[in-house]
Formats: sequence, C-alpha cells, structure tokens
Amino acid sequence: MSVWNYVVTAHKPTNVTHSCVGNFTGPQELNLIIAKCTRIEIHLLTPQGLQAMLDVPIYGRIATLELFRPHGEPQDLLFVATERYKFCVLHWDAEAAEVITRAMGDVSDRIGRPTDNGQIGIIDPDCRLIGLHLYDGLFKVIPFDNKGQLKEAFNIRLEELQVLDIKFLYGCPRPTIVVLYQDNKDARHVKTYEVTLKDKDFVEGPWSQNNLDNGADLLIPVPPPLCGVLIIGEETIVYCSASAFKAIPIRPSITRAYGRVDADGSRYLLGDHNGLLHLLVITHEREKVTGLKIELLGETSVASSISYLDNAVVFVGSSYGDSQLIKLNLHPDAKGSYVEVLERYVNLGPIVDFCVVDLERQGQGQVVTCSGAYKDGSLRIVRNGIGINEQASVELQGIKGMWSLRSASDDPHDTFLVVSFISETRILAMNLEDELEETEIEGFYSNVQTLFCHDAIYDQLVQVTSTSVRLVSSTSRELRHEWFAPAGYSVNVATASATQVLLATGGGHLVYLEIGDGVLTEVKNAQLEYDISCLDINPIGDNPNYSQLAAVGMWTDISVRIFSLPDLNLITKEHLGGEIIPRSVLLCSFEGISYLLCALGDGHLLNFVLNTSNGELTDRKKVSLGTQPIALRTFSSKNATHVFAASDRPTVIYSSNKKLLYSNVNLKEVSYMCPFNSAAFPDSLAIAKEGELTIGTIDDIQKLHIRSIPLGEHARRICHQEQTRTFAICSLKYNQSSVEDSEMHFIRLLDDQTFEFISTYPLDQFECGCSILSCSFSDDSNVYYCVGTAYVMPEENEPTKGRILVFAVEDGKLQLIAEKETKGAVYSLNAFNGKLLAAINQKIQLYKWMLRDDGSRELQSECGHHGHILALYVQTRGDFIVVGDLMKSISLLIYKHEEGAIEERARDYNANWMSAVEILDDDIYLGAENNFNLFTVRKNSEGATDEERGRLEVVGEYHLGEFVNRFRHGSLVMRLPDSDVGQIPTVIFGTVNGVIGVIASLPHEQYAFLEMLQTNLRKIIKGVGGLSHEQWRSFYNEKKTVDAKNFLDGDLIESFLDLSRNRMEEISKAMNVPVDELMKRVEELTRLH
Amino acid sequence: MLGSWPSFDPHNFSQFKPNDPANPSKMTPVTYRPTHDRTLPPPDQVIAPEAKNILLRHFYQPAEEKLRSKRAPCDNPSPERASKLPRPSASDNSI
Repeated sequence: MSVWNYVVTAHKPTNVTHSCVGNFTGPQELNLIIAKCTRIEIHLLTPQGLQAMLDVPIYGRIATLELFRPHGEPQDLLFVATERYKFCVLHWDAEAAEVITRAMGDVSDRIGRPTDNGQIGIIDPDCRLIGLHLYDGLFKVIPFDNKGQLKEAFNIRLEELQVLDIKFLYGCPRPTIVVLYQDNKDARHVKTYEVTLKDKDFVEGPWSQNNLDNGADLLIPVPPPLCGVLIIGEETIVYCSASAFKAIPIRPSITRAYGRVDADGSRYLLGDHNGLLHLLVITHEREKVTGLKIELLGETSVASSISYLDNAVVFVGSSYGDSQLIKLNLHPDAKGSYVEVLERYVNLGPIVDFCVVDLERQGQGQVVTCSGAYKDGSLRIVRNGIGINEQASVELQGIKGMWSLRSASDDPHDTFLVVSFISETRILAMNLEDELEETEIEGFYSNVQTLFCHDAIYDQLVQVTSTSVRLVSSTSRELRHEWFAPAGYSVNVATASATQVLLATGGGHLVYLEIGDGVLTEVKNAQLEYDISCLDINPIGDNPNYSQLAAVGMWTDISVRIFSLPDLNLITKEHLGGEIIPRSVLLCSFEGISYLLCALGDGHLLNFVLNTSNGELTDRKKVSLGTQPIALRTFSSKNATHVFAASDRPTVIYSSNKKLLYSNVNLKEVSYMCPFNSAAFPDSLAIAKEGELTIGTIDDIQKLHIRSIPLGEHARRICHQEQTRTFAICSLKYNQSSVEDSEMHFIRLLDDQTFEFISTYPLDQFECGCSILSCSFSDDSNVYYCVGTAYVMPEENEPTKGRILVFAVEDGKLQLIAEKETKGAVYSLNAFNGKLLAAINQKIQLYKWMLRDDGSRELQSECGHHGHILALYVQTRGDFIVVGDLMKSISLLIYKHEEGAIEERARDYNANWMSAVEILDDDIYLGAENNFNLFTVRKNSEGATDEERGRLEVVGEYHLGEFVNRFRHGSLVMRLPDSDVGQIPTVIFGTVNGVIGVIASLPHEQYAFLEMLQTNLRKIIKGVGGLSHEQWRSFYNEKKTVDAKNFLDGDLIESFLDLSRNRMEEISKAMNVPVDELMKRVEELTRLH
Repeated sequence: MLGSWPSFDPHNFSQFKPNDPANPSKMTPVTYRPTHDRTLPPPDQVIAPEAKNILLRHFYQPAEEKLRSKRAPCDNPSPERASKLPRPSASDNSI
C-alpha cells in the first residue's frame, strides 16, 4: 500500500443520533428529520407511510438538531450545531427544492473546557434566543431580533460546572432556562435562570429544587398551559414548577430518550436502556397539575430518540439496534404489549469488531460485523454485489446464445429454453416433474446455430439462423413461413420483437421484416457502407410489441446508429471513438428515461440518454465493466426492468433516483444470460457460465446486501476459522431479571453457514473476553482459537489478572487445550513467527507453544517489552510489531530472533489516543484515534541519526468524523487481477456509527489527479449550511488543527457522478480533462466498494 | 390514558402497508449535492466568535451604560451599534 490514500464510505452511518418532527418542507407537510451523525435525512409523512425525500450530508458531526419557527414564518427552520463548534440555520425552499442557509456561524471560544456530558443546544420556545452550553461554566446566547434575524452572540458565566441538562421553560415573560446539575458532593439539583439580553447576564429564576434523584439526567420542559419541567431520574420522576411539585417512583431504569405526544404536553413516551417504552402522563385539572402516571407500553430497540409522528405512529431512532417505526395500539396483544413494530431500518452501529471472510469461496470478501449493543446485539453479514440463488444447473459446454420462449402468446410463463451452440440448437423445456428436459420444436432448424429467437404475436415463434428466418406456430410447433437470405449472403446478426425482425447480412445489408399471422413480410432494406456488428429493436415506446427505433453498431467506422422503423431512415450517427468495435447494443428505459447502451469488445460500456422522438443521443458516459466482450440483455425482477451485462465481470445495470448504477453480480464469468420465467422457476434467469447452464433467482437489486443474525447479546470480538468452517465470538449477556444488573461473558462457537451457536464456553465471574484469534503454532499442525481475557473487578482501576485460553474445535465443540494466567488484560493476540504475541496491559509478551513430557501443550513465556501506557492494538508483519497505545500513538517494535528479545525501533511522539491500527506496508502504518481522525506514519530507516530513525514521521492526516474500532485488510468486491481497480490494495474499517469504509492506496499519479479533482469539486459542490469541506477534513484535536494531507475524500470525489452535465463540464474545463475521462476514472473508483 | 392519539392529518399512515418486520425496510433517499450559492447566508447572518472575554465585557459595561444613558435623550437612537456588526470580509474568512 502507499502513503496516498483514498477514503470512501461503502456503507453510510445508520446510527440515529437525533430526530424531530415538524413542518420543514411546507406549512402543510409534516416531516420527520433524522440525524445519523454526519447526515440528515428528510422524510415526508404520507398516507402510505414515510417517504424518504433527501439525504443531506453535513460537514460535521451533528451535536444538536432542532426544528423551530420564528414569528411570522410559515414553516419550520432547522437548527444544526456540529461538534466542532459550527452551527447553521437551514430553510427549505420548496420551489427550488433546495436547502437554503439562513444563518451560520462559529460558536467556539478560544479558551474553555469542553463539557464532559456532551454539547447542549436549545431554542427558546418564544424564539427570543438560541442557547448553547459547549464549555464548562459558560452559556452562549445567540439572540434573535424581532424579525427572526440572529444577532451577535455572547457568553454568560454559568456557576454550575457539572451540568447534566439545560432546557428553556415555556410560558415565561423573559427567556428562562432550567439547569440540572451536580454539585461537588455529587448531589443533583435544578435551578432556573432568566436571561437578560440587555445586561448579557443571568438573573436568578423563579424557582429551584434541591436534592433530586441521584440518577436524574434528563429534563423535559412542559408546554403551556401547564408549563414547568419534568425531571427524569433513575428511581423517580418529578414534575416541578413555581407552584407545584409532584413525584412518582419508577422501576429502576435509565431513560435514554423521550418524545412528546400531545401539543399540550400531557403525555410523553420514554425509552429506557433496556428498550422498554413507557407512557408518562401528567394528570391535571383546570390547568393545575394533580399528579403523574406511568404505564409500560412494550419493548422496542434501545431508543436514542423518539419522535411521535401522527395517528399513533412513532419513530424510534436507535444507536444500539435497528431503528423502528412502531404503532401504539389501544389494546395489548397476547404478550401484553401495546407496541406493534411496523418497520425496521437497518443499523450496523456500533460496529465493535468485524472480520473479512470469503464464505462462499468465490474470491470475494464478505464482512461479518459485531453490531449493536445490549439486547440488540447481532452479527451482520455485509456483502457487495448481487447474488444468484442457484435452483438448477446442467453441464453444457460451448453455449453461443440463449432465449426463452412461451408456448402461447398469452401464457404468463416461459416454456422453452433455446440453447444455441456452434453447429446445433437444442431446446429445453420443463417436464411434468419440473425438470429440464430436452425437447423439439419441429419447425426450428436444430442442426445449425441460432442467431436469435423471439416470441411473436398470433402464437408464433421466430428463429433466425444464418440462412433464413423461420416463423413457427407455438402450438403445433410447425413451420408456417420462412424468409431466406439472398443467395451468396448469410445473416450475421439479428434481433426481433413480437412483430418485427431486423437482421444484417454480410456486406452491410440491413433487412427489416414484419411478422403477420403466418407470414413474414420484407418491408424494407438498406445498404450501409460497412458491416454491421450488432443490432437491437427492444421496444421502449408505448407498444411493448413494436419498436419505432432500431440501434445498429458498425464495424470499420466504430459507430452506433439509430434508424427509424419501418422506413429504415438514419436518424442519428454517433462515433464511439477508439478502435474497439461495439459488440452489443440495447435500447432500454429506466424510470421514464430512455437509454442506448452500447458495449464494446474490451469490456467498456457506453451509455447515452436517448430522445425517443428525434433519436438524439446525449449525456454520453463510459464505464469499464470488465475486459471481455459484453452481451447485454434486459430482465425483470420485482416489477422493475434491469439490464444484465454478461462478461468476465457480470454486472447488473439499474437505475435509482434517475441515475444509472452498476452492481456486480457475484459470479466469476457469464457468457450469456436470458430471463427464464417458468412456472416451476418463476422470475428466474438462465445463465451460461464456464461450461455450465444455471437457472437461478436473483437477489434484490442493490449494492450492499446485509443479513442480520440477532444474538440477543452483545458480541464484542469475532474471528473466523477456515479449517473448521466456524466463527468464534466473545460476547456478553446482560441479565436484567435480577434486582442488580449483572452480566455474563461467553466464548461461543458458530457454524459459518447457519450462524447457529454450536458450542459455548462460559467465562468466570468478572472475566470478559478481550481478544480472539485463530492460529496455529510451529511444530503443531492443528489450528486453535486463542482467547485473551481480563478479570474486571469493580474495585480495580485496571485489570491485574487475565487469561489466555487455547481452544481446539473437536466434533463441533470448543475444547480447552491450554490456559495461561496473565498479569493483566489481554487486549490483543497475534500469530507471530509460529508463536503467540499478546498485549497485556502495558506489556507486549511473546509465548512459545511447548510440548510437555506428558504430550500436553502449554504456553511458555519467551520475552516481552515494557513501556506502554496500555498496549491496546497490535499488528505484526514479519518480525515487526506495530503497537497502538491508549494515549501514546503508534510505536514500532522489532523481534530479534538471536537474542530472543523485543526492542523498540521507533515511535510517533504525538499523544494520540488510539482506537485502531493497521500496517499498510513495510514502512507505512495507519492509525485511528479518538478525536475521529485518521493518520499515517512512516518508518524512517534511512535517517542519518539514531534520533531520526527512532521517530515515526507523520505523513498523512485526515478528519474522518467517525470513531474507527477496527481496520482489516481486504476488499468487499471481487478482485480481478487484470483490472486496474484489482491492483489497488484496500483496508476496510468499521465504526461506531455503523459505517463500513474503504481506504485504498493509490499510485501517486492517480492520487495527484484525484486531488486536483477534489479541489475543483470543493468549488462546485457547496457544504450544506455553508460548512467548509476543507475545514471538515482537517485533522483536529485539542492541541492542533492542520489541513488534511495524503488522504482524499472519496465521498466527495464520487459525488462528481451526481453532478449535472453543465457542472461536470465546468470541472472538465478547469482541469483540462475531458468529461468522459473524468467520469470513467471516477466510475472505476466506485467499483472499489 | 392510551388512545385519542393526536392527528395532524388523519390520512397519514392510513394506507400504510407494513413490510414484513423480518425484512428491513430500504429507504434510499437521493443524496443532496448543493451547487447553488444560497448555501452561504446573508453577510449579516454570519455569527463570528465573541472577541471579548466576559471579564473585559464586565469592565467595559458600566462605561457603555454611561454612554448610553447620555445618548438616551437623543430622539433618534441608533438601534444597533454599527461597530459591533461582524464585518462581512472578516466573517468570510472565519467560515
């Protein structure tokens, strides 16, 4: 790999951090707005449910998301504040369908200690000011003037240093905040303050309340007419106002999220840490609060946000499990639950660990993640590309073409599968036992190659061979009419619809026939100047049986031409450029847009937007699909039309949001494909590949496929063992039934196909699994699972005891072979020179695998290396060991065989708190740290002095905006050795927000080119809310902010493909690179993930 | 306690067909790529970080009060002090 890295998202964040409901896109439109850390999704409520409108990337991690409506505004505005102290006020311009920035700014302070309990951003219900609590002891105010414009911000000193929550109170003559805080004796209180804008200061508020629940953590302001505030504790809920105080005890729980139900604030939904949903009711009489009631409604995912939508439907956003759409029923179901889950939305977060495996042994990586937390823990299998689920297959060599035919024009299913070979044609059909059986269509030539077949009207079938076109009855299967090629000419290529045949003979002769009842009529022919290489008349107009256009690909001048039918008038001629002839053309229509696809002999595909009324071709785009000639064919799946491009890299072409997308099909090489929708195999495809004919159904058409394996417990480490075809995980199960919450830790063995638990090894009390590894040792051919553990005692700051457990899988069971006690937590395990390398607290320790006299095995300590704060992450390469430290960045160690010692070679002297490390190549190491940055360091072996050689030089820095928990070498896509993209090494990462990303090391030339493209894109694609991309990607921690270097933002670069043609041309002009070239190069990058 | 759930538009979710909850729902909205110029607000709506420390502000406040009270009799008090508005050029740099 290299220092020039390209970072791109393969799976966007799915962790829902915030949600709110209001009239954002129009006064009469109700919207659900969801924040997923760095993205905002805008949804519209409709009779059919939630309709996704827009996914808005934000150049920042969202800290606050609030809808509000200044006086006189017809619709709500959206206030967004980011963790890096930027904020913006967004407005939806319905006419232009654009997000407009009303206001923005920087709310950072040069000094000040960032709050420990997260940033708080609130808006006065009467829209007099925005309040922000970002630094301990400071409350920042951005006032509104009476026209809703923002004025200069100022700080107010806040005496309370340990603030837990701040909210604005409703119905106060002056803006009033209520502050929940903890004093230095750990007691919790609330206090109110009025903000006086004139003096820029607080005045003591109307009331306060001391000595609340020790777990009080959340304030809910109550709107008029009741006003006041609810204080949510772990054992009590209190209502407090100037005139009233009411409290109720609750079952001990930690409330994670709330959602107001009624506009008058009498009911609230509360979600707790176990995923239980409660309804809290304020009972009142004549606007006076009389008491509180709480009712358990049922269970959801553990909620991070709750938004009541409309008509008893509620959105439950989750950080630890899938988000849900639920309905509140009036009557409980059989289990006593009032909650009905209507839909769930996949969330991979938090990805704590993952592994890359090739389960189907196709040479393609799949990612298996440890996702979710607590009861919502799961494994997720994430796979790129589209799978074919094989139903039947037969061995057949040398297939040259395939078509499916029906036995009657109105039959909904296909009966025959025509398979053509170099000198014969065979007909397969389903027999009564639902088996494919060879049959005959008497009217067809069977001893020659078939060039094309099609169903025709009047219960007829058409077969085109090199000498003739045969029209055959599909019921009697007898020949009804035949058209012969002129003497001395043979048909080279042909195509047909239900009423038309278009064919080309040698010498550039184009012939157009129409199909009648038992008759073929030669309607028109044309003489072209060159030979014809491919044809298509797929009907894309209103009549599915008749095409008014024909697409023709040419030899010699390498062009594609559009002719009108039936008169064969040339309408458009488009030179393709280059020397590679078109091998397959296809007219098709996606989402109401017509396209001409043209595949070349070298695996490239050109697509054009086709104007069906005048035949004009625009928006030419070129992508590389593979290296071999491509054959294009349409097929339908789930009522949508897609195109299958058969080649050495089979691809499905489909359209989403009016953009053409290319998704890999997980098959190695496909020569031909035709849809085969038979009664026994509905909605299937017949696929010719590598000497085999396969019939199978196709997965949903989308890029990433995610399968969930709910565990009901929290998986924290995962590892695959190829030899035993198993996974092993370290997991923990929370026990909620007892009075005191307890947890139990396990090592579990899973079958890698069924994902069922096949064996479990329970760990001791207080013992938890920290690391897991599949490895073998020198002088021992067996493979083992090694597990590192720690005893986490409540009274200890750091574990002082742990174990290394060595298991063998015997008869599908985990068999403990050896165990070794350690003096701390075993944070990491690596296979190292046939030995086991462990990171134990501050030490790196190497163990030998020794044979005892009695034939049993044991781990024996060989050598170690001290000098870390906590050695958390370790990777090795040869004799080199790269250590990611808790707070001392990356260091490089070397193992010296002769001396049997481990020594430090070099280190990065920055104080980065690491969250993951990986070795990119011999000299370059990649790190992720807890301020959401990525960086690379380089070993300097050529340094002149020891001091220079002992320093790892920082060569790349980048703000990812995501907390990375794991890097792994590997790829999500099938790598073809002969493609350009196949040469680019990649690392996959997984994050807390459920992002799966790819870091690709580029050659310097490509990096420089893309860097220029990125610079130009920054000028064209603006940051929403006026936020700057350059600032967003700058490396940022408490000590420094520096521009990103040697990392590129693939998400920005790939958004080039979403731009309008005009914008692309602007960039093309600025870079002096043709649009086609830019598109091709960016399109290739999208194939990395 | 349960029931009479609020309704903004009774039609919302009226024709909702729940997916099989075992199959997660796929919502893939279009990703927004603004290329217009209105991603930047009007120059007077760019809020810059506060230059003045609270302590300094407290020092200066009495003096400012005095100034203000002197000006109070004036018939046309300017509502905003022009010097306190962020300068557009300066604020552009801070975006």
